[in-house]
Amino acid sequence: MKKNKKNKSIVNKKVSRRDVVKSMGYVALGALAAPAIIRPAHAADPIRVGIISPLTGAWTVYGKAHIAGFELAVDEINAKGGVLGRKLELVIGDSKTEPRIVVEQANRLIRREKVDFLAGTFSSAERNAAGPVVKAADKVLLYPTFYEGQEKEYHPGVCNKNIFMFGPEPTQQVWPHMEYMMNKFGKKFFMIGSDYAWPRVTNMVTKRKLKELGGSVVGEVYIPFNTPQYESVLRDIRKAKPDIIFHSLTGSDTVNFRQQFAAAGMKNDFTLWTVDDEEVVTTGLGPKVSGNDYVSFDYFMSIKHPNNAKFLKAFKKKFGQDALMNTVGVAMYNAAHMAALAIEKAGKVDTKSLRENLKGIAFNGAPQGPVTMRKDDNQIIVPSYLMQVNPSWTNVNNMFNEVQSLQKVVPLAARCSLPL
Amino acid sequence: MEFIGISVDVFLITATLALAAFGLAIIYGLIGVINMGHGAMLTLGAYLTWFFISLNIQFLLCVLLSGIGVAIIGVLLEHFIVRKFYHRPFDTLLLTWAFFLITTEIIKIIFGTDFRNIEAPIAGAFDVFGVNIPAYRFLVSLFAILLIIASTAVFLKTNLGIKIRALIQNKEVAGLMGLDINLTYKTVFGFGSFMAGIAGGLIAPMLSIDPYIGNIYLVRSFFVVIVGGVGQLLSGTVVGSFLIGGTETLFAIFSDQVISQAAVFLLAIILLRLKPSGVMNKKNV
Repeated sequence: MKKNKKNKSIVNKKVSRRDVVKSMGYVALGALAAPAIIRPAHAADPIRVGIISPLTGAWTVYGKAHIAGFELAVDEINAKGGVLGRKLELVIGDSKTEPRIVVEQANRLIRREKVDFLAGTFSSAERNAAGPVVKAADKVLLYPTFYEGQEKEYHPGVCNKNIFMFGPEPTQQVWPHMEYMMNKFGKKFFMIGSDYAWPRVTNMVTKRKLKELGGSVVGEVYIPFNTPQYESVLRDIRKAKPDIIFHSLTGSDTVNFRQQFAAAGMKNDFTLWTVDDEEVVTTGLGPKVSGNDYVSFDYFMSIKHPNNAKFLKAFKKKFGQDALMNTVGVAMYNAAHMAALAIEKAGKVDTKSLRENLKGIAFNGAPQGPVTMRKDDNQIIVPSYLMQVNPSWTNVNNMFNEVQSLQKVVPLAARCSLPL
Repeated sequence: MEFIGISVDVFLITATLALAAFGLAIIYGLIGVINMGHGAMLTLGAYLTWFFISLNIQFLLCVLLSGIGVAIIGVLLEHFIVRKFYHRPFDTLLLTWAFFLITTEIIKIIFGTDFRNIEAPIAGAFDVFGVNIPAYRFLVSLFAILLIIASTAVFLKTNLGIKIRALIQNKEVAGLMGLDINLTYKTVFGFGSFMAGIAGGLIAPMLSIDPYIGNIYLVRSFFVVIVGGVGQLLSGTVVGSFLIGGTETLFAIFSDQVISQAAVFLLAIILLRLKPSGVMNKKNV
């Protein structure tokens, strides 16, 4: 019996092997024929957008608002019938907050998922990782985060004709408010930031303006990621006696530093101005630690603009009353709408026409006030707000008080060979 | 003045790091389990403290409850998994790493990924000879040193301590002499977890509470235990913490943060080359 069974199975195997070869032939034929059948997009085929978000890893806290902004915009666009009669469809990739994974995800989304264009990545390191991929595959990437500005030496992460910047850079986020801060508090800056490209370049650009305005830097420190203790930094700050602590630490280091800064009783003696701590981080700090500090960005949930009221209403309806939004999420929202406008204008979705039509496009419905994509260097022109944290805030709606705002801040031209 | 200020800083950092590393010093130092889940235990302690505080329980009680909570989780982990691997220490490395991964994901599911914070129960700072000392950190540091001394006294002066030392010296003979080996292992593992939970709760008001909070201390804790000397509960932990934490402050006086953090680890490597079983271990293999 046993032997028989064995024989049978061998026979079976032979047959199945032949079958396999045969079916492989069909599959190959089918695959050859498939492009001819599939390629010409039907009018009803969705436009596929690949999103790369930090859904796990160190910057998970920012991932939620990041992706929510884009999803909300896509809902709004699809509710109106989509673009060119085609709906937008999202394919999501998790960056795990690691540049290495960004490369994998960008390749997967472009080659396997065949997305029409990409949006997202979070930190400058992530964007720089995606740069070569979108350059080689010739796909557009819509980048949402406030960042250090474009310098030729970081090409193709910046100065890349396929990457569009929807977040502010230092000449928009910092420069417009320096005069106010220096007149009010004094001209001595102490700079503290995380040890990577964004804080270093941001401080470099800030120093240029500081010099112009007759200010000086009395201390400049960069902190490695995940540093728990700040005693020696706090001592250096006391010794240097700055008028303004200019703060660009990121992630949990922000919270660690500012908690210890407050615990050391230094809040009364120094003014702190942060360019990194939006709604998500400030919520983590609590009112006692964050109260009276200054923050500057292109967007805050607290800004009083009719567009923002409308935007927040829709946002809260979809994601709940307590959901957090921030500058990056709003940039993702704007990116989706502006891409849709560009596709509508072009009448088609290929990379070249998307790129050509994104240049110079304006979006009046942006939550922070009207924005425009600058033609030459793919840099968005946005409003800029300086806020002071309300010391008795209870939630994001009363977290920030407006100090000053500029509705249209034109940044310096990108340091690239222009036009891109 | 400058000197006093620096000494205070060095004391605060050393004591805080010793507190964070103590749970590991017990579990790794005494029973040889390479506990990569130590960071997750600190994180659990912080989240449990946050949770109990949200129920309006008094802070110190919250910390105690968190210690007990983490101890229970630790004992369960020991009972179902770790105890089958005491003779294979390197496998415990993978097991406890898995514990870290799973715990972190569960924390994300239950508490979400947002930053949370606990207000320091004692706010502000006080001045001594013109040196500014943050009140809460100072008290936690004092408490940490007392805690470590008290635990070491238990280890050296009590029956339980004798049992544990017997177990470490010779497991077979201790068993033949009638010692309940399984129970002793379990006690030590549970006690180490308890200390990690307490540390997580006490450190929480100084840091951001996020699912990875404990991992800031994981690598540093291992360095503390290994440089200080595995098995040297009091002297090893305190001296190790000084060498890994305190010296960072000293280096930072004349170099920047990035270099001083690197210099500390370089120092650790040199010390280990000179004294392979740790600074405070007399017998060097």
